[in-house]
Order: sequence, then structure tokens, then C-alpha cells
Amino acid sequence: MIDVTLTLNGTPRTVSVEPRETLSDLVRNRCDMTGTHVGCDHGACGACTVHLDGMPVRSCIVLAATCDGREVRTIEATRKDETFGVIRRHFHEKHALQCGFCTLGMLMMAADIIARHPTPSEDQIRNALSGQVCRCTGYMGIVAAIASAAEELRGA
Amino acid sequence: MHSETADRWIGKPLLRKEDARHLLGASQFVADLRLPHMQDVAFVRSASAHGRILSIDAGGAEPGTVWTLADLPTIHPLFAGPELGTFRNAVYPPLADGKVLFAGQPVAMCLGANRALAEDVASAVWVDVEELPPVIDAVNALAKGAARLHDDWPDNGFIHSVITGGDIASVADAPVRMRRRFKMNRQAANPLETRGVVAYRDHRTDELVVYTSTQGPHVMRHGLSIALGIPEHRLRVVAVDVGGGFGGKNRLMPEEIAMAALALSVDHPVRWIEDRNEHLIASVHAREHHYDLTVLAERDGTILGIEGSIHVDAGAYALWPSGPFMETSMAARNLPGSYRIQHLNIDTHTVATNKAPLGPYRGVARPGACFAIERLVDELAHELGIDPVEIRHRNLVGPTEMPYRTGGGLRLDNGDYPTALDKAVAMIDLPAVRARQAAGEPDGTRIGVGFACYTEQSGHGTVEWVKRKSRVVPGYETATIRMMPDGSAQVLVAIQSHGQGLETSLAQIAADGLGLTPAQIVVRHGDTSISPFGFGTFASRSIVFCGGAVTKAAAALAEKIRAVAAHLLQTTPDLITLRDGAAHGPQGSIPIPEIARAANIRPEALPEGMAPGLEATATYEPPESGGVFSYGVHAVVVAAHPETGVTRILDYVVVEDCGNLINPMIVDGQIIGGVAQGIGTALYEEIPYDETGQPIATTWGDYLMPCAPEIPSFRIGHMVTPATSTEHGVKGMGEGGAIAPPAAIANALTDAFRDIGAKFCETPMTPRRVSDAVALARGEE
Repeated sequence: MIDVTLTLNGTPRTVSVEPRETLSDLVRNRCDMTGTHVGCDHGACGACTVHLDGMPVRSCIVLAATCDGREVRTIEATRKDETFGVIRRHFHEKHALQCGFCTLGMLMMAADIIARHPTPSEDQIRNALSGQVCRCTGYMGIVAAIASAAEELRGA
Repeated sequence: MHSETADRWIGKPLLRKEDARHLLGASQFVADLRLPHMQDVAFVRSASAHGRILSIDAGGAEPGTVWTLADLPTIHPLFAGPELGTFRNAVYPPLADGKVLFAGQPVAMCLGANRALAEDVASAVWVDVEELPPVIDAVNALAKGAARLHDDWPDNGFIHSVITGGDIASVADAPVRMRRRFKMNRQAANPLETRGVVAYRDHRTDELVVYTSTQGPHVMRHGLSIALGIPEHRLRVVAVDVGGGFGGKNRLMPEEIAMAALALSVDHPVRWIEDRNEHLIASVHAREHHYDLTVLAERDGTILGIEGSIHVDAGAYALWPSGPFMETSMAARNLPGSYRIQHLNIDTHTVATNKAPLGPYRGVARPGACFAIERLVDELAHELGIDPVEIRHRNLVGPTEMPYRTGGGLRLDNGDYPTALDKAVAMIDLPAVRARQAAGEPDGTRIGVGFACYTEQSGHGTVEWVKRKSRVVPGYETATIRMMPDGSAQVLVAIQSHGQGLETSLAQIAADGLGLTPAQIVVRHGDTSISPFGFGTFASRSIVFCGGAVTKAAAALAEKIRAVAAHLLQTTPDLITLRDGAAHGPQGSIPIPEIARAANIRPEALPEGMAPGLEATATYEPPESGGVFSYGVHAVVVAAHPETGVTRILDYVVVEDCGNLINPMIVDGQIIGGVAQGIGTALYEEIPYDETGQPIATTWGDYLMPCAPEIPSFRIGHMVTPATSTEHGVKGMGEGGAIAPPAAIANALTDAFRDIGAKFCETPMTPRRVSDAVALARGEE
């Protein structure tokens, strides 16, 4: 076992993991935070997206042991975040979710897209979402929600 | 008597009640359950496509960690498929029983403190298999001398059946006979949440509790009861949040039975979460139709009949309850599509192969049938020099001919198909597309436009399912509405909302029936212990059946509320209306919570002789048992490169009519999501097998899921022809979006390369297939 000391959602923690465990294993199984969903377990669907040192990563293909000394933010930390609040509201209003399984990864990626592109074009949003699979919505509501959330946040 | 309130909530694009928990990351899927002492299961799966198991070596595992069929309690055979003497049964054992019939079949299950440790155990298990020749092509599988999957069958056919309509001999001398072959390849539903099971014995209630990601908990409980030999009152099946199903979670699968049996055998909860590899090789597979069809027509393009054959590659076993024959018969019966085609003679073969068993996926059979008929219509148009839109107009069933019995025996209830086509042609701006096409693209890509018409049978009841010889006949749904002392209400239903927003739309229906707001109503589902019996969510049935049951239950409850109100207001029930949270009489009103309080906890306030309580249960089956038909037309413009074969969608228009809408926002979401999946079928998704029977697409690196850059924005044109037989005039519409895209896109590609006559007759139309079709048409090697 390896001791990993990281900052998880603002709280310093030391977690013992096996060398083969991934960051999604650490978050879901060692810390019981189940808002990070695993859809494919091989880095192809984006449902497990978390922020690692401020960058979106697929937590199912990041080894937990490599997260020592790093800062991890999962969806659980965003519940009271104002920016996320705006993005959530636009997801709700634009019918950007159906079954809800991909949604948390989408939100984590949406926040990153808006941070990088304050005025994102539809093409920018679609391309930036190219690693996020949604099986239900056909993406239209998600793209619209990110665009309108960005617009509101730009004015804020 | 119905509530006299005007619709206040039905028809409104109410934002969804289910969004909040999902957006917070506070939803609960099976994989999110945390139970003390729970152990994980990893399945050992067959590496061989076909073989006899000689031995299973546990690899030195600790006792009690490796389980084969012999180690589990006796499991009774679960006969699946139509109740027809001519259907050969192939019971799917929960763990392999002597033979393995496809690569990926569950052979043994291994326990560990977590999934990784369970996989360690599994990886040490050695299954010695005497290899047998694999059967991988559904047509060749029926040839004399082909290896046989099932030793007691004379060949590999589950069933051979001729589907007929009219009299094909009467049009045998048709002036035009044109033969074409089409193929729709194999895929899987691929909901983002894979399958998953958590099972344990609850000693307090003396129940076996099975959490499973399913579309129909009650029916699954029935199947588990048969398989395990446990009475249903000692089985509880729960579907918590379900992350998509699309048909793929509507069969009782071997893993679910094996997990339930294991939970009976150990003293702790057990959990299995399917990984994506398992999903791709061993979940419910779908499609894989071969069509060899000849269309009989007049020279003016009037289609007289269709004859030929359909082979459906059904995989190794029959999935409970329906088996694979429904796929085949629906494909044949839906071939006439939206057209006046009265003569049909289709030789159908449902064939066993060494592949994962076939089951339902959004559209069931109709994406294939639509692909075949809509490609045939376009091919005929080209053959006869008629415009594809014009030939459709010559054959579409007209509104004055409704209701119309098709050559496939389906009763198209109402609608205006020609107007839908005109609307699609107008929305796609055909002259502008033709102008761009004529001008040519600077990079050599070709522009093409394609159309496809479709119908979607929904809300079909007892008669239709009996006609299909279904062993479970989902002819009704049940709803209970219970009003609490404070006037809020629970709607308890047996459908399973897994993305369809039924917690919202059913609340809208109940709100109008009771004079409440949707916020005062909660819809509970997905648990055999909370709702009355019902069949679940599939076949675009929930809004018709469950919406109808909620309407009936609300009406019954409203009648009692009015009776209590009349007593309290000193008037008669017929003078009471329920609206805005109150009962209104000629001389006064009383808030519904006061009535609820009286009925529940102050029975002395009730009229003499009235039973206390406010609860009503109703079942509902629409009177037209053959179903109601949504329909529509898709129009698509593509740009395809002749050398790379890459196809891009430039514009996509959907015109559709699903009767009255309960929640237009949710309806649009279902349409768009369905079309996106249909685009996946058309261009990307495929599970091929190599000549040794190994599945080639085993990750999402090989199986291409459409993402945001591949899917366009859609434009939707609604038409509304209310159903005459259903409550609120609704028709089901969950599958329709997925039916037409393969046909529309193939027709657009054909249009793009019309000058060289390239043929697009097989899905998915990958870059390789497109560039090969172009090269073949150009006479290149």
C-alpha cells in the first residue's frame, strides 16, 4: 500500500491505496464520494472527470499514487459554488440531462470550457466536449446550456 | 366522472423534477450503494466462441471464492421467446452449463473484497475448453453441414416463419421487379451507466433484495422467482437511479440470476458492476439484420408488393422473456412502413450464432425495416427516373385513408404523412441544397440530401402482444395515488423512469386530475415494494399506459375528494370542481388539504358511511389494442469525401407527430436523443466478429460512440394529430428518433454519389465503407 497525501475538495487527507488504484477508485471507494461516475473505466467517456490541480482529468486513468501533494476537486465540492450554480441552472433550463449519469463529468468539463473560453462558439464547445459521451440528450441541450451559462457568467 | 378542471399543467414545458439530484451529484445508481461487508464479483467469461468445457480449475483460490453453476443453488430453466411450437428454445444458463456458445459468456463468478481482488481471483481460474467450429454468419449458419450450437436442434434456426399480407401472387406479373440486399450490423445499447447488481438477504423482512439497473423491476422479480424457486413475496427488486437503458436493460440477464443465487449462498451483500468491456461483449446485443428483398411496382413508381427474406442474427440464446423472434416478425411486418403496400411475402429466419444473444434496443427491428424500405424506395426512384420525394408521395398512405391496415397487418390510426413529407422538404430547403450540390465543393466533397419516412407503433396492448405470442403480455399499467393528511400526494407506478422525465410528466398529469400543482406531487417508481404491479418502461409505452393509469387513478381520487367537499360545503359532488389546490362549489371553496385532513385523520367529518382514507388504484389499457402510431419524416444533408469516405452532417430536420404533448420540452429531448443514437447506428457503431468468433469492438476505442462534434443541431417541426383512443390524445414517441436516421443518411450518401451510382446498403457507413462504395462504383480495385 502507498500513502497518498492530497488535498481533496479543500481538505488535506492521507489515503492508503494500492499501486494499481486509480483516482476514481480513491474518490469513490476510499472516500465514498460517489458523484464521480465511472462510465467506461478506460478514459473514453469523461463521466469521471475531476479537476486535478485545476485541470480536468479522467480520474479513471490517473493513478491515485501520482496524486501525492496535489489538489483534487470533485463535484461534491461544487455544490455551493456560485459559478457551478449558474451552470447547473442553465443545464436545468436547457434540458441538458436525461438519465443524469454523464452529467457530473459534463459539469466539471463545462466549468473548464467556460474558464478557458469566456465567449465560446458552438464549435469550440462541441470540440471541447469531444471526450465526453452523453447517450441520452444528443448534446444539443448541453451545448446550449454551456453557451448560455458562459454568457451569464461573462456579464457577472 | 372526470375532473372538470381545464388542463393547467399538461402541455407545458415544465422543467424536470429529477434534475436537482443529478446536478448535485446526489443521485444514486447501483454502483453508488454502500452496504456493510459487501463483496465484489468478477465474472470469468468464455474466451472461446464455441466449445465444450472439459474442466474449470479454480487456480488455487481460497474456498468459497470461485463459484460455478454446480456451486449455486438449483436454478430452474427460464424458457424464453414466443409461445410457439415452432420456436426452438435455448435456455440461457446463468453460468455456463457444459458448453460455451459465445466469447464473453459467463462461466464462473469470483468474490473479492473489492473488484480488483475479485478480478485477481478470476484471472487465475483456468477454463479448459475443447474448441468447436464457430458459427458467425446468420445466412451460412443454416447451410447443410454448418456446425450446430444446440445439440438437440436439427439446424441453427430458432424459428423459420413466413410473414405474409395480401396476395403476392396477384402482383407476380408486375412490370417492375427490383432486387436489393441490405444489412444493418450488430451493436449494443451502451447506456452510459452499465448494468449492475447488488443483492443480499434481508433477514428482518425475510426477503432477497436485488438492486439491479433495470427498466422493469416487477417483471424481473417474476423471472427471478421462477429461476430461483422463491415466491415473489420474498423477493424485492429495486431499480434506483438508472443511467439509461434504451431496451438493453429490459431482459433478465444471466448475471442478475447468478448474483441473486450467490446472495442466497453467502452471508453478506454481493455486488457486480459491469465494465464497458463486458457490456460490449455480453450485454444485450441488437440489430444485425440481413435483407434480400424484391420490390414489385408499376412503371409510375406505385409499389405493389415486397417479397424476399430476412435473416436476423440472434446470437446464442433466447433472452427472457421475449427471446429473439419479436425482432424478426417486427422487421417483416414493418417493411411496408408508411406506404400503401398491400402485398407482402417475407421468408424470415431467426438464427442462432456464436455471438451474444440479441434483444431490444431503441426502435426494435424498425431501424432495420426502415433502412430496408426507405433504401428500396430510393433505389426504385432512381431505377425509374422518378424524384425520391415524388415517389414517396405516390405511395404514402393519405390522411383520408386512415385508419389504414398495412400489408404487414398494422393499423395506422391517424395522421397526415404527405404533409409531414412536404414540411420536411420545405424545412431542409431542397432547392438551396440542389443549388449547392450543383455548384460543387472546393475540396471535392460531395453534397447529398436524403429523406426517410417512418412510423412508430406505441401503446399497443393485449391483443398485439398476444399476436406476437409473448409469454409476458404487457397489456396494462397500474397506478396508485395516495393523498396524505396535508394534501400532498404520492403517485406510485411500476414504470421505470431512466431519463424519460416521467417523474415530471406523470406529475403534470396527476396535477391536472387533482387540481394540484406538480410540486405537490411526488412520483415514486422502480421498486417492487412501493408500487402495484406493472411492466416497466419500454416500447414507447409509458406515457400511454402509465399516463392513462395515472389519469384514471386521479379521476377516482378526485371523485372522492369532490364527495367529501360536497359534504363539507353542503352541496352535491357534481357541482364541485377541483382547481388551484381547492374544491370549489357554488357557494364557497375549501382547500384540498382540509379535505385530505378530514379523510385521513378526522373521519368524523366524512359523510355517513364513507370509508376513510384518500387512495385510489387504477389499471389502464387503451381501447385500441393494436396501438397508436407516431410518425414522421427525417431529412438530412451530408457532405462526404469520396477518397477519405468521411461523412459530415450539415443539416438535419425532423418532422414528427406524436399526438398531444404532455411536456413539449421532454418530447423534444427524446426526439433529439433518439436521432443522435440513430446517427450512431448509421455512421459509427458496430460490433463485428472475426472468423474465429472473437468480438472485435471490445472498448470504446473500437466501438465509436458519437460525441458532440459528430452530432449536429437539429431542427424539429411538430405536427399534432391527437390519438383518438388514448387518454389526453397522446402517442408514445421514445423510440421514433432512432428509427429513420440510418435510412435518411444512406439515402443522402446515395444522392451525393448518384452520378457514379455508388451503393450504400450496409450500416454503419464508416469512412472505409463509403470510400469502398465509391471505389467500387468507379470500377477501381
